[in-house]
Amino acid sequence: MDFSTATHLMDLGISAIEYVLPSKSLSVRELEDAGLLVSRAEKLQNFGFERCYISDESADELALRAAAALLDNYGIRPESVDLLLYAGAIASSHHVAGGHFLSNFNYPATKLQFELGLTRASVAGISQAGCMGLTYAVKFAGDFVRSNAEAQCVLCVSADVLPRGVQREILYNVISDGACALMVTRNSTQNRILAHRSVTKGYYWDCIARKNEILAAYFPTAKNLIQDLLGGAECPPEDLRMVLPHNVSYRSWEILLDLIGVRKEQLFATNISQKGHVIAADNWINLKDATTANLLNPGDKLLAFNFGFGANWAATLIEH
Amino acid sequence: MRDTVLITGGTGMVGQDLLPKICSQEIVERVIVLTRGNGVLPAHQKIEAVRGDVRLPDLGLRHDLKQSVVKATTTIIHGAAETSFSSALSAARAVNVGGTENIMRFAADCPRLKAFCHLSTVYVCGKRTGTIREEDLEHNSGFVNAYEQSKYEAEQFVASQAQRLPTTVVRLSTVLGRSLDGAVTKTGAIHYALRFFFHSLAPLVPGKKESPVDLIALDYAVDSIVLAALDQFTAGSTWHVCGSSDAFSLEQLLEETLQLFYKNRPAWRKRAIEKPAIVNLETFYLFVRSVEELGESVLKNSVAVLKSFAPQLAYPKLISDASTQLVLQRSGLARPEIRDYYPKVIRFLLENNWEARPQEQARL
Repeated sequence: MDFSTATHLMDLGISAIEYVLPSKSLSVRELEDAGLLVSRAEKLQNFGFERCYISDESADELALRAAAALLDNYGIRPESVDLLLYAGAIASSHHVAGGHFLSNFNYPATKLQFELGLTRASVAGISQAGCMGLTYAVKFAGDFVRSNAEAQCVLCVSADVLPRGVQREILYNVISDGACALMVTRNSTQNRILAHRSVTKGYYWDCIARKNEILAAYFPTAKNLIQDLLGGAECPPEDLRMVLPHNVSYRSWEILLDLIGVRKEQLFATNISQKGHVIAADNWINLKDATTANLLNPGDKLLAFNFGFGANWAATLIEH
Repeated sequence: MRDTVLITGGTGMVGQDLLPKICSQEIVERVIVLTRGNGVLPAHQKIEAVRGDVRLPDLGLRHDLKQSVVKATTTIIHGAAETSFSSALSAARAVNVGGTENIMRFAADCPRLKAFCHLSTVYVCGKRTGTIREEDLEHNSGFVNAYEQSKYEAEQFVASQAQRLPTTVVRLSTVLGRSLDGAVTKTGAIHYALRFFFHSLAPLVPGKKESPVDLIALDYAVDSIVLAALDQFTAGSTWHVCGSSDAFSLEQLLEETLQLFYKNRPAWRKRAIEKPAIVNLETFYLFVRSVEELGESVLKNSVAVLKSFAPQLAYPKLISDASTQLVLQRSGLARPEIRDYYPKVIRFLLENNWEARPQEQARL
């Protein structure tokens, strides 16, 4: 495998994270009763899911709340932001809903720039990366700061809200709506990004026709990618303080952990059952929650692994 | 008087190539093939098909027919078997143990019998690890599937009759295809597994990187059986017809296969399909259980095949053929090297869209 996207971003880190989940939460039993699951609730419980969040707000509204909280809580001046990257996994996350065809050009990213007063920030969106959107935003943010001597910080935001009434189960995972905002900053002393690997395999682009193949390809590709990342960074699995998962089924993590030689205790699994799979935001919500719960110490090595339709796999090594 | 050979399992993968080879032996005058009538036999003047079933007493033959066969038979090659790795134990026993008991009772009635050759599998050793020798049989390590267990029990019965009958046991390894042209005349679990790998449906394989994957060429199996049953028959002997030290390790097999897919199907490379990951048994079964719970039929089928035999790789073993090689070398039979014929088999499978070609029967 040619990991041409390998990077070493020693001078970059994630200095701030905030996220927003909707107030409404349903158990998998309630989802089943409402006809919002493909599988039986019991099966999904066996796979590690208990609840998910469902939003009555739009994706851009959740994004605005998450980003505004980030700026407020961390005392970040809006005009200091050099770039805003807005990620969304599904097409509806990339326009502000309206009845007119032209509303397809009503972009939530630029709306966010205006609402937050990010007057200096260039703006772009990341789509077609599935649940990988925010991880790619972090990666591209790093590339941007490294290649622009004047650039100091990039605001990365992801938000997704599934259409009302759509089933909440994708490939046996329970999906939550939500938004996450984070700041990638030059010379950050927090959550330094030590290494990153990603691979895209277009063979699996058709997630309906290639459903079985995707399920099968997930594990060996993830294993090779993570082992390449850790090997390149000379970080043996036992040196990892924590694995920050994307919140796919705990069952799949049990399998993957064994493949990469990581103990179950190293996985920050709490959020899988209670928060569900918040599309692109999982890794970073988990980083925020592990930090808030005082589970991490400076210098701890963290592995964030993620998969997105496309198909894309990515792994990031972080020093807390 | 020349020999009359009674063969069971003549329409199976090995049997299809064994028949012409037996017919070509000058010492053989007649070849009687016991068949349930569900396979095509090659047309040859020496071959006589008789309808019967090893699961039945007297092989299901009419009394007069039985007497005729009993009177003529000098050699029995018992190859009929339930070879599915996913059979229930009762079904496997019915053919593999019950059938062996019936054919051996039949053999006891044959006044001219010189040799009873029982075809078995090297995997009667089940979950044993380490070096497995020809003289080894008894163990309590357990089995990966009902096929292994039933063949083990059949061998126990053969051993119990060794004082009464001139028996030899030929334990075959997994037969892949012909060494000369790579032809596969009947597909089995190993071919299905390779096909799943090609189609990105074989994510995990249990075992260890260094686990030997013992495979043999069809023609080598056939030539060895002919020697064991006819030219080099020795009562009480056991043969290991296997790859032994020539086997690929599991890691080598997967890498070699990947490279052969690239070579034979250059466009396949852009799919970027990974080799299956090698995992421990616990993780493999967790994956199996998960897939079975998912109910995705395509992936479920793939996993069903893999779980029927691949766990054997988690019990690494070297099948020794030291004693067998002494006889084979004396007879001038060399074991084809896996590195020479494996690429031919992969090419054959790809060119034939993973289908066997039964019509590729050896020429009479």
